[in-house]
Amino acid sequence: MTTTDPRSLSSVASGNALELRGVTKLFGALAAISDVTFSVRPGERRAVLGSNGAGKTTLFNCITGDFLPTSGTIRLFGEDVTTFPAHERIRRGLRRTYQISLLFGGLSVADNVYIACRGVSRARFSLLRPRRSDPLTARAAELMEAVRLTEVQDTLVSELSYGQQRQLEIALALAGAPRFILFDEPAAGLSPTERRDLVAILNGLPGHIGYIIIEHDMDVALRVAESVTMMHNGRVFKEGTPAEIESDPEVQELYLGDGSHSHG
Amino acid sequence: MRGFVSRNPVWSAVIVLGLAILLWLILSPWTSDMEALLGRKRLFLNALFGGITLGALYFLVASGFTLIFGLMRNVNLAHGSLYLLGGYIGFEVSERSGSWLLAFPVSFVIVAIVGMILQNQVFRRMEGEELRQTLVTIGLSVVLADLMLWWWGGQSYTIQTPDWLSGPAQVPIVVGVNRAGEATYLSYPAVRIAILLAAIVIGVLMWLVLNRSRLGMLIRAGVDDREMLAASGVRIQWVFLAVFGFGAGLAGIGGIVGGTFQSLTPGEDTRFLLASLVVVIVGGMGSIPGAALGAVIIGISEQMGLVYAPTYSVVFTFLIMVAVLAFRPQGLLGRTR
Amino acid sequence: MVQIDRSGDPLGDILNGKPAQTRPGWLVQLPLPFWAVAFLLLIMPLIANNFWLFQVFGWSFILGMIALSLMFLAGYGGMVSLIQMSVAGLAGYMVAILGTSGMAEISLNWPWWLNIPVAIGIAALFGTIVGALAVRTEGIYTIMITLAVAAAFFYFTRQNYGIFNGYTGFNRVLPPPLFGVNWRDPVPFYYLTLGCAALSLAAVTYVARSPFGLALQGVRDGPRRMAALGFNVTAHRIAAYTFASVIAAVGGILLVWQNSQISPGTVGIPVVIDILVIAVVGGVKRPIGPFIGAVIYVLLRTFSPDVLTAFGLSTERFKTLIGLGFVLIVFFSPDGVLGLWERWQARRHKRRDPLGDGGTP
Repeated sequence: MTTTDPRSLSSVASGNALELRGVTKLFGALAAISDVTFSVRPGERRAVLGSNGAGKTTLFNCITGDFLPTSGTIRLFGEDVTTFPAHERIRRGLRRTYQISLLFGGLSVADNVYIACRGVSRARFSLLRPRRSDPLTARAAELMEAVRLTEVQDTLVSELSYGQQRQLEIALALAGAPRFILFDEPAAGLSPTERRDLVAILNGLPGHIGYIIIEHDMDVALRVAESVTMMHNGRVFKEGTPAEIESDPEVQELYLGDGSHSHG
Repeated sequence: MRGFVSRNPVWSAVIVLGLAILLWLILSPWTSDMEALLGRKRLFLNALFGGITLGALYFLVASGFTLIFGLMRNVNLAHGSLYLLGGYIGFEVSERSGSWLLAFPVSFVIVAIVGMILQNQVFRRMEGEELRQTLVTIGLSVVLADLMLWWWGGQSYTIQTPDWLSGPAQVPIVVGVNRAGEATYLSYPAVRIAILLAAIVIGVLMWLVLNRSRLGMLIRAGVDDREMLAASGVRIQWVFLAVFGFGAGLAGIGGIVGGTFQSLTPGEDTRFLLASLVVVIVGGMGSIPGAALGAVIIGISEQMGLVYAPTYSVVFTFLIMVAVLAFRPQGLLGRTR
Repeated sequence: MVQIDRSGDPLGDILNGKPAQTRPGWLVQLPLPFWAVAFLLLIMPLIANNFWLFQVFGWSFILGMIALSLMFLAGYGGMVSLIQMSVAGLAGYMVAILGTSGMAEISLNWPWWLNIPVAIGIAALFGTIVGALAVRTEGIYTIMITLAVAAAFFYFTRQNYGIFNGYTGFNRVLPPPLFGVNWRDPVPFYYLTLGCAALSLAAVTYVARSPFGLALQGVRDGPRRMAALGFNVTAHRIAAYTFASVIAAVGGILLVWQNSQISPGTVGIPVVIDILVIAVVGGVKRPIGPFIGAVIYVLLRTFSPDVLTAFGLSTERFKTLIGLGFVLIVFFSPDGVLGLWERWQARRHKRRDPLGDGGTP
């Protein structure tokens, strides 16, 4: 199922995994994000920081196709996907996790992962029931192993701890052959131990998978990202390496002055 | 408005052009070529004005439907039954009292009360369960239809037009030129003109109430965000009750109007329910101006269809609905959610 | 492995799709009552008279199939479609138009092996197109749109004489005398409808747990999540309409054969609503629900006139009875009589066995 997409070669050659140009999203008269332009190289790991209401989740929703941007273009591996439906972007290797859990609570962990593997497989529309030797089952087992959920694979998702649900979110994003993942505050609400696990999982991802992570916790963000985009009031405010951003006086003023440390 | 023009220059041009052609068709005397293509001008104008009057009636019925839907997300499929009930009550009142005008307040109040009972006794018990509410309205429409059939029987009733409204009125639009070289003018039943005017007045009043009063503000806020309205401490149940009563009452009035220039028979409830559905789908769900636009479009298309392609007239209505759903699923004036 | 009982959970079906890997075949754990009912239905012609076979059971099976197609969309897809009766009616009309009927000027006299598949195909295409329109909006709009299209279809068949022969419709539409059997005789007709109903029931049950069926239920419960997993939400919904329409179409053809005629009244709004009533009263969570609803409906319809007359009421009041029954069911048991039954079972179980071993299926 990890068939190499012929497009991927050319697009990697052309440069960026993700490229945003002037992306703007208006809700009525209110601009949730305006004129956001930045790009992420394949395999690059980027953190997007900013206070609540800075437009980070809206940005994700535009990238995944949950919303159409009001203006601007979004290119994924060189291809203009601005008007593509969500599932078409998923097939091009884009994945995301959600801040608010959209997991199927009435299903076990294994089933959630299995459905995710189905989503990017060929036999989505099959009317025949799966056979015993379904390769997707094995793939699902691998994924659960990767996010350390093997022991609880038969537990209903609604009975999982919050931290485990977050881990499952990551497993779902890893199903199929992801090339670029959007993590929406994966560390929010986690215990210190769980945060350490999360950092280990993120750092353990294969090198060709790039991602953007939205994170309030600077500690987590700066340990898993090689570059940082700072957003404020729906605009890109600063870009740079973690060290540059950390030492930037403007950022410090904004971030500390915002009282966002109450999140930490 | 200006925003629409700047955002959709092509569509604006098409709309302006269409309106201009229509105006020209109405006002200019027709040449013989045009008559060969479209038939007599009188026929065309009759279909057009008949369509607009029918649209006015559809608007009366559908605006209540869309108001209720917009605020409560309740697809009241018993709305057609309220229309027919209002018509029958109006018939009884005008027969017994001899006053056509008296029928309106009586019918409005009775049907509004029926609507409020429905809201209070049925829908309130299943708040937030849109599907179940809708299913219940289907069941109620079946029961109401049967009870009305029981009471009023299968025959058809027509409400008498009062003397002062019967007969034709002249409309200053040239239909043709007679032998003597004088222009002949279109004559048109006075009662239909009255209905059209009444619908316009009601529509404008509704618009004013919605946009200029505190109640209207509450209702609009509720259409946008019901949780917010509930959280703001407003007695939302009273707003729901008032809107439901008003919407039902409008359907009742619609029944009298329909009973006056058409007739009341079992089955009309379904017809007007369908009309309301199509009008609201075309115009935009939950939008009063949308209901007006949709009503006029559907009314005209139905009348034109009857004149120019009698065995396919339903298809026109249907195609309009399909086109709207395909290109603008939220309806012409509906908002994207 | 920990066995978790998810039988009551609608999403449990998604899980139950997987045990196909651990449990062999699809003859899985059919309970004893199932076999009892199946046996009873098979030997029914020995017990029941022709009226019961043809009028009560035959009609129940047909209505059950059409309601089943609604159940599939509503229960698994979360889309309450009122177009199913129109799809069935169109298939019936097509058999009359393409095949043989009393209207020799219109009917094309195609052989049965051609006109039946084409009729089903056209009806499925119609259902798919309506579905494609309906899924452009969400949730409660589906009812409005499908009801509007159903009404338009009814008025069109009544208005149009060139194809649908207007008010009169078609008469003398008969099943082909295959294998020398007159399929409209009560016993053959009983087995024909029983066979079709059983097949469609089995098909729906099977498909519900196939990847497509599972994804459809996922789409019902979390469309956004399913899209984020790579599922084309719209395509799954439209495909569900196609699948449901095929079942409805077969039901529609059987219905024409039973009545030997079809006219606009067959696809009128009251009938459209009756199908909804049947599905909801039976229960839209399980494929068997619509058939239970259909049996109740047909029994009421057949025998309520006697009861009503006994109470000094006109037989017309049958509709009030149905309508009130429907309202009560929606009020008190959203899962239909099947839901009532399950709740009653659960209560009885609890009372008999206070410690409860989790309930054996």
